[in-house]
Amino acid sequence: MIHARDRAAFPARAGIGLRHPHLPAFLAAPQPVAWLEAHSENYLAPGGPRVAALERLRGDYPLSCHGVGLSLGSAQGLDRAHLARLRALYDRLEPELISEHLAWTTLPDGIFLADLLPLPYTREAFEAVAANVDLAQGVLGRRLLVENPSAYVRFAEADWDEAGFLTELTRRTGCGLLLDVNNLYVSAINRGDDPAAPLDRLPLAAVEEIHIAGHARVAIAGGELLIDDHGSAVADPVWSLLAAALARAGPRPVLVEWDTDIPALPVLLAQAERAERYLREASDAAG
Amino acid sequence: MRLADLQRRLGRCLLEGRSDPAVLERLADPPEQRERRLAVYRNNVRHALLSVLEAAFPVVRQLVGAECFAATMLAFVARHPPGQPVLYRYGDRLPDFLADFSPLAEPWPWLPDVARLEWARNEALFAPEAEPLTPARLAAVPPADLPGWRPSLHPSARLLGSIWPVHAIWDAHQPEGGALEAVELDQAESVLVWRQAGTVRQRPLQPGEWALLIALAAKRPLAQAVEAAAGQDANFDFPVALARLLGAAVLVAPNPESGGHELGDAPDDHFVVRRPVADREERRR
Repeated sequence: MIHARDRAAFPARAGIGLRHPHLPAFLAAPQPVAWLEAHSENYLAPGGPRVAALERLRGDYPLSCHGVGLSLGSAQGLDRAHLARLRALYDRLEPELISEHLAWTTLPDGIFLADLLPLPYTREAFEAVAANVDLAQGVLGRRLLVENPSAYVRFAEADWDEAGFLTELTRRTGCGLLLDVNNLYVSAINRGDDPAAPLDRLPLAAVEEIHIAGHARVAIAGGELLIDDHGSAVADPVWSLLAAALARAGPRPVLVEWDTDIPALPVLLAQAERAERYLREASDAAG
Repeated sequence: MRLADLQRRLGRCLLEGRSDPAVLERLADPPEQRERRLAVYRNNVRHALLSVLEAAFPVVRQLVGAECFAATMLAFVARHPPGQPVLYRYGDRLPDFLADFSPLAEPWPWLPDVARLEWARNEALFAPEAEPLTPARLAAVPPADLPGWRPSLHPSARLLGSIWPVHAIWDAHQPEGGALEAVELDQAESVLVWRQAGTVRQRPLQPGEWALLIALAAKRPLAQAVEAAAGQDANFDFPVALARLLGAAVLVAPNPESGGHELGDAPDDHFVVRRPVADREERRR
């Protein structure tokens, strides 16, 4: 069993996702942000300026590494070669937090689909995910945080809802949760549910990191669909949901993600500053 | 339906852009919305992979236009989806795909070599680090040992021989580049691509330099490499060529430490393409 790390080791402050267009600004001067998150797969090359930049910045900022390619939901099990690459990266960078998604990305023949695809919340899927999380935590030698996905479909066959599935997963594997508040919102609206309802049922004590991001809206027959495109400022109802989550879980590291139409760094830092205000409120309320 | 079957079927729908009633039946969403909902995932897959290819092949995209590029990449993705999740390595098969893709290869026969040049730049960007050979290190080699000395190329170095003016075409599509009208299409070019101080650089090579670097990449001793260069160019000035290569951090000392990296270890990795070089030599005869 891999135990949770000391929470004091990582600041319950706002961080931003490190993106290539912002590397020069970070290398030129310290930036007013408490911590950084890097997409693990973007730093697996054997050399070059991006890897060098992250290795340098790692000395100046607490770091979370966020994987987008391990495919915890794959029925065929994990790609051992990829797991070994991640292990080598994490041994080198020693990130305080590492995370992956409750989703699948890879087909049995190894084809990588480059998107976080949905799982049916069945017993069969649970056993596959739990075995994959066990293996990943064993090989990586670290506690893995598992992120709730954004969903556009729902499977008819289900033994749990998402909150129930994640609760059982943290209980079985000892993994932590990365609570993506934007995903919680997007998925609930796309299902026609109350976005705040899962906060009553998720194992909030296991939450070690929170994500927020912007989403888009598209029209579909008989309604509207929210798309988790990380391409705009965080929407007001997502800020409200963040406040509700922090009120219940207590202050936690909050990350602002922005991946398409990436803005100038000050725009992103302003979003992080807004998250800091919510964190201060939660901290004051917690006394 | 077993999870593995569901994933296989859904994966095929997303990659090939078609519908599968067996997948749609598994969804709990209103029937009239199911296709549209799955289309979000399909668009995400396409958008993610298209973004990777756009970043790696910006000049190919400029040459054929954004729309044509996107349509061609859809065909490429369906034929050669990524085989692993490390996407800086995705796109290595695009040059050969373009060579066989007649709608583009016929009007733009130089397009595959431009793609090879862009892929060489991509490989150079992510290749392992290595200490460049310095003049001081070279000066420390006993003169008697120099003829048999085997300096090699920096792990990021790539040698591309083309029957087309591939560097000039590339350069004409850069913000500060040359004029497209000035490119002479019957001019063959050989290009060196490498990374210096974190920046990818490239320049066309004279026949003597090309022969020298080909020999060094093949781990041949310095004396043989110089001989090969002189054989290609009677006026080849080795001291001038050497100073230029040292100044540009293209060379490394013999037997560099190899740390089990994924790129650039084998000498063959320095050669982007060999056949067109032979073609060019045949054409010159």
